[in-house]
Amino acid sequence: MAPFLFHLGKYFILMWRAFSRPEKLSIYRRRLLDEMVSLGLDSLGIIMVISVFMGAVITIQTAANIDSAFIPTYTIGFTTRQSTILEFSPTIMALILAGKIGSNIASEIGLMRVTEQIDALEIMGVNSSAYLILPKIVAAVLISPFLVIISMFVSIGGGYLIALFTDIVSVSNYEYGIQLDFRLYHVVYALSKSAVFAFIFTSVPSYHGYYAAGGALEVGKASTRGVVQSSIIILVVNYFITQIFLI
Amino acid sequence: MIEVKGLSKTFGDKQVLKDISANFEAGVTSLIIGASGSGKSTLARCLVGLIEPDQGEVLYDGRDFVHMTTKERKTVRKEIGFLFQGSALFDYFTVRENVRFPLDILTDMTSKEKEMRVDSVLERVELTDAHALYPSELSGGMKKRVGIARAISPSPRYLFCDEPNSGLDPQTSIVIDALIQEITKENEMTTLVITHDMNSVIEIGEYIMFIHYGEKWWEGTNKEIMQTDNKEILDFVNASGMMTRKRV
Ligand SMILES: Nc1ncnc2c1ncn2[C@@H]1O[C@H](COP(=O)(O)OP(=O)(O)OP(=O)(O)O)[C@@H](O)[C@H]1O
Ligand SMILES: [Mg+2]
Repeated sequence: MAPFLFHLGKYFILMWRAFSRPEKLSIYRRRLLDEMVSLGLDSLGIIMVISVFMGAVITIQTAANIDSAFIPTYTIGFTTRQSTILEFSPTIMALILAGKIGSNIASEIGLMRVTEQIDALEIMGVNSSAYLILPKIVAAVLISPFLVIISMFVSIGGGYLIALFTDIVSVSNYEYGIQLDFRLYHVVYALSKSAVFAFIFTSVPSYHGYYAAGGALEVGKASTRGVVQSSIIILVVNYFITQIFLI
Repeated sequence: MIEVKGLSKTFGDKQVLKDISANFEAGVTSLIIGASGSGKSTLARCLVGLIEPDQGEVLYDGRDFVHMTTKERKTVRKEIGFLFQGSALFDYFTVRENVRFPLDILTDMTSKEKEMRVDSVLERVELTDAHALYPSELSGGMKKRVGIARAISPSPRYLFCDEPNSGLDPQTSIVIDALIQEITKENEMTTLVITHDMNSVIEIGEYIMFIHYGEKWWEGTNKEIMQTDNKEILDFVNASGMMTRKRV
């Protein structure tokens, strides 16, 4: 318990320092832009590929599981949309990004730590935690909802492809299903959730990278710890968010 | 001038610095020499606050650095240039951007003034041609020189160089030594150079401090070091192989 509280405290102190007022805004603006471009563009491909297959599988799975005359087949479309919007796009994408972006962040910052680049920043009077971590968190929190929106469309499109090319569900039934009882609240809920997840999968690996010590080996370990812990935290937090906001 | 009083530092149960006191004068290139692991880098890191010393004081022209708040320290740090042992260049910046970065952070120069300053500094370390390269495209010695360029670009009052010569050929070494000494004199800087290089010791050692297992073992000038009878220093000097001196 004690080590856990120790790390938790250290994590919050780091976040506090990262979010303190930056000294020169101009250097942050450039960093933020760079981060947004690299986070957004670099993740778009993987998000789309995963989403299209995800949507296709949800559609097939749902069809396979409601093989009953009492349940109308448009339920397949409806279920695909609901599970995509509520869970799969925000949560699965967050886990994917935790693996991709999280490991990247931890090793990048960790390498800067062990090669004394962080010390070099500190010597120049730069708040290294703010300079390195803040743009990453802000960029991810801003970009992530857009990625999730794209994922939603692509995933539901994946289901559509199943309707189009197989006879599991007809196109008209699928189309009816995905429009049935649409609530904007669910999308808002999902996007807010994704922003929270983005905070987790950037800040937790940042923490592990920032306090990496030693050499390349330690950086590798920090990166693994960052990914594993952000994934677990995302799933636990997801449980609480669902419990609080959806029930 | 930097005054150090009774500085001590322990890592775990290993005392790395033992009660070190010294005065480093402005306009003088002070050398810190000693065997590998004797605590030279740790001393430099304690002086600039990258490591908190357990005991002792560090005064930057009378300003008590150890007991300052983070904010007060920042004003002193803005006057410090530091060359790290491993250069510590920013990987995602080009040479030019690396050298320019402290100017962006620390000064209110216009873009044009910065570019001119970068050009002149790069010229001094003879890296004008390499300005667009990334650190991964540089040799070890080139990285060192970029590190020096970055350290001196904002015209610091205090300059720390952790082994500026390691990895350089003897000729470039001499050029770098001369450069460090020159700018130290020009700008009345307080300069600390950590080195293993006996060439440097002889050439630019106006003040030399020899550290032995974390203790200040000896201090003096390059003339005095030639005459000392101190056993550990003789061992150190002889091991460097550049002088075969007979004891008189
Ligand atoms: N962060 C640290 N934690 C624990 N021990 C450390 C730490 N930093 C340095 N040391 C130890 O302190 C001693 C002095 O290290 P330091 O880097 O100051 O040596 P040095 O004189 O600069 O050596 P070199 O010439 O090889 O660079 C070494 O024994 C090292 O193991
Ligand atoms: Mg050293």
